[in-house]
Amino acid sequence: MGSRSSRRRRPSGVGLTVAALLYAGFLIVLPLAALLLGVIENSGPTLRVLASSEAMGALSRTIGLTTTSLVINLVLGVLTAVVLVRDRFVGRDVLGWFTDLPLAMSPITIGLAFFVIVGRNGWLQPWLEPLDIKLVFSFPGMLLATLFVTFPFVVRETVLVLSEVGTSEEEAAATLGANPWQTFTLVTLPNILPGIAGGAALLVARALGEFGAVLVIGGAISGVTDTATTFVFHAVEERQLFAAYGMSMVLVALSVTAMSAFNAISGSLRR
Amino acid sequence: MSLPRSSKFFYSLMTCVGLAFGGTACRSKVEQDTLVLAAYTTPREVMGAFVLPQFKEAWRERSGKELEIQESYQGSGAQSRAIVEGFEADVVALSLAPDVQRLVDAKLVDTEWTQGKHEGIVTESIVVIAVRPGNPKNIHDWADLARDDVEVLTPNVRTSGGAMWNVAAIYGAAMRGHAGVAANDEGAATELLGKILANVRVMDKGARDSIVNFENGVGDAAITYENEVIVSQRDGKAIEYVVPSSTIVIENPVAVVHAYAKKHDRVELSNAFVEHLFDPKVQAAFADFGYRPVVDDAARRTFPAAKDPFTVRDLGGWDALQKQIFAPEAAYDRAMKTVTK
Amino acid sequence: MTNALSPPRTIRAIAVAWVLALVVVPVFALVLQSFAESPARFWHAVTGRAAWDALVLTFVTSAIAATVNALFGTMIAWVLVRRHLPGKRLLSALVDIPFAVPTLVTGVVLVALLGPQARIGQLLGDWGTPIVFARPGIVLAMLFISLPLVVRMVEPVLADLDPDEEDAAATLGASRWLIFRHVLLPAIVPAIIAGWLQAFARCIAEFGSIAALSGNIPGETLVASVHILGELEAGDATAAAAMSVVLLGVALALQPISRALVTRSGAHG
Repeated sequence: MGSRSSRRRRPSGVGLTVAALLYAGFLIVLPLAALLLGVIENSGPTLRVLASSEAMGALSRTIGLTTTSLVINLVLGVLTAVVLVRDRFVGRDVLGWFTDLPLAMSPITIGLAFFVIVGRNGWLQPWLEPLDIKLVFSFPGMLLATLFVTFPFVVRETVLVLSEVGTSEEEAAATLGANPWQTFTLVTLPNILPGIAGGAALLVARALGEFGAVLVIGGAISGVTDTATTFVFHAVEERQLFAAYGMSMVLVALSVTAMSAFNAISGSLRR
Repeated sequence: MSLPRSSKFFYSLMTCVGLAFGGTACRSKVEQDTLVLAAYTTPREVMGAFVLPQFKEAWRERSGKELEIQESYQGSGAQSRAIVEGFEADVVALSLAPDVQRLVDAKLVDTEWTQGKHEGIVTESIVVIAVRPGNPKNIHDWADLARDDVEVLTPNVRTSGGAMWNVAAIYGAAMRGHAGVAANDEGAATELLGKILANVRVMDKGARDSIVNFENGVGDAAITYENEVIVSQRDGKAIEYVVPSSTIVIENPVAVVHAYAKKHDRVELSNAFVEHLFDPKVQAAFADFGYRPVVDDAARRTFPAAKDPFTVRDLGGWDALQKQIFAPEAAYDRAMKTVTK
Repeated sequence: MTNALSPPRTIRAIAVAWVLALVVVPVFALVLQSFAESPARFWHAVTGRAAWDALVLTFVTSAIAATVNALFGTMIAWVLVRRHLPGKRLLSALVDIPFAVPTLVTGVVLVALLGPQARIGQLLGDWGTPIVFARPGIVLAMLFISLPLVVRMVEPVLADLDPDEEDAAATLGASRWLIFRHVLLPAIVPAIIAGWLQAFARCIAEFGSIAALSGNIPGETLVASVHILGELEAGDATAAAAMSVVLLGVALALQPISRALVTRSGAHG
């Protein structure tokens, strides 16, 4: 009797564990292992294709979009998060709702929304045309779409951390005579950095992998608006599987590295 | 004031990198022209391997300037609409004339584009049926594609020019009485089309996507351009093709997008490019890649003949076909209705 | 009412302006475009044969994927929280991988693994159960991309649970199954449902992975996002916008339910 109840206190659940591990293994590990193997087996031709100007151009555009979005949305994301948590005004909840909106939208829908505004027959065309500003089939247009897609991540993570942290330290700083800017940079910011870093991780991963929206708004023109993801898309169409798998591997590697780095920063800052 | 060695190394590395980038940036400011080419999906190889490098050479000799060509390949219909929506291409090479007509209607291409050489048609081909080596399912003509045991590939007519040629070929062959159904019977032609569409497993956005899927093992037969199969064979893929007894002659147009060429000040360059496509050497290259050249005797290979080749004009022209087949509620829509259960 | 800790008015203005310009305007434009011609046009764009089939297919496959992941995701969350395994951190990292993989890559790799030119794909074809270019493939892609959503929703709730309750029930002689049903499950059900809803919303919006491996046959393997792209490429921005609005509407309608469940279960959104 005693041994039975102590066995119950630590249920074994081996079957459950095995099932869970098998599921994760087959669903996630298998495809990635296949990708890795495919790239390693054909590393020679893969590297040659990746070194081509077309591949490098596409990759540089993706990195450009990612880093620019990161910088802009870090600043504006933190700013928005502060407003959402610390400020009170009519419409604040609506602001928060709109901030989350991009997460609910399909990438194609996002591309379409911008297309409707900046396309040749779009709303803003009467203003853009005389200024000779091209937002469709161009890098700036793709940047807009990427900014849209990645905006919620930093905001949400920062909001989470900011709400947790509370205002006691900042109140203390205020009583000691610090102005709002000092309070923010010296007290608030260090406290919320872990959240910001976490948001940055998600942002970078999302931006690197963006496909549908940049396809619609950019047109994936070789050498002009091709990104790493549309490069993979074209490579599959052109039967160039080395190029497709190679660039895929590069994207996954970049994404995993960036996410790990930011998450590590976030983790070490929390302690 | 001496920096630690690691810093010195770092700064000199950065300087080198900076100079390298600056150098490349400088180099690109040397006299360079740009040409933007918008094409349908299939001429990728022939453009990349021969036509474009050849033209860059010719342009360098003619003008002394380096030429950068930006290329875009997607379904002919989609490409045409992209240009209407703001994709500023200088030259278009599309699958069928209506896709150029759309640009004329949008006032981007001059109406005189058909007055040029060969009425603006740069290459020809025929619609064929790609099959597996040895033709295991014994597919020889359109009626075979309607069989229960055959899986077919053909692209989506809304985006792909090739898809439109395919449908026109089936419909035309049926109307001419060569597809196993009564001639001039719209209902029978629609029914045959419906049966074939019911066997379609994947409806791709472009002819190229379609043939790639076929190469990857999808389907028993793919309705496609003859040149697509030949390019695929060039690439070492194991596929063959069957010429149906009655099939349509594909005519691929090319035109300068005058509105954008003028805007970019590249009219001379664009016209030169279009001219270049009719050069016998280029036509021969097209032939190597499976196209039937429009310039006589340019081909270095012989092409199989169809028993009853017909053109769009034989069917009443694209306007008639649009009304009969591709308009809403016309033959294609009616055929598709019988497909979805 | 602003206090000394509120951000200055200018900061608020910047945030509002940014969200307005970046988010509100495009979405507004999308909605306006969908009604650009007439309400009848909107209706037709959404209830036309191909469109309606695409919507139904999207919702059904997403529901299936969300359900399967609700089951396995909960199991994985349980393993992560309650089991002591070597390499548990590896499993945790594995679960996050779909966030790091571009969706298009997911599709391309699945085609490479299970497509007709792979041995497995040929076998599947011979048995009459193809995955790639068929509906199971769509569900498979959705499973991959939405698994982390369920796991990360259930995991913190499981972790927060007080094991004393379960120990008490065990001491009273309850079987493992009873403990699970009456102690564990009620506590985590809100989180599981919230996870299901998040997975579902994610799946209906998915494009990249499905575009790579679906057959795009209207009524068979054409999902809503690919249909929308097709409408846009075919020149019908209004129809594309209409479908988009419907998809978005469904996702937004589920949000409040999800949020309420999240607050109830005490997990993070």
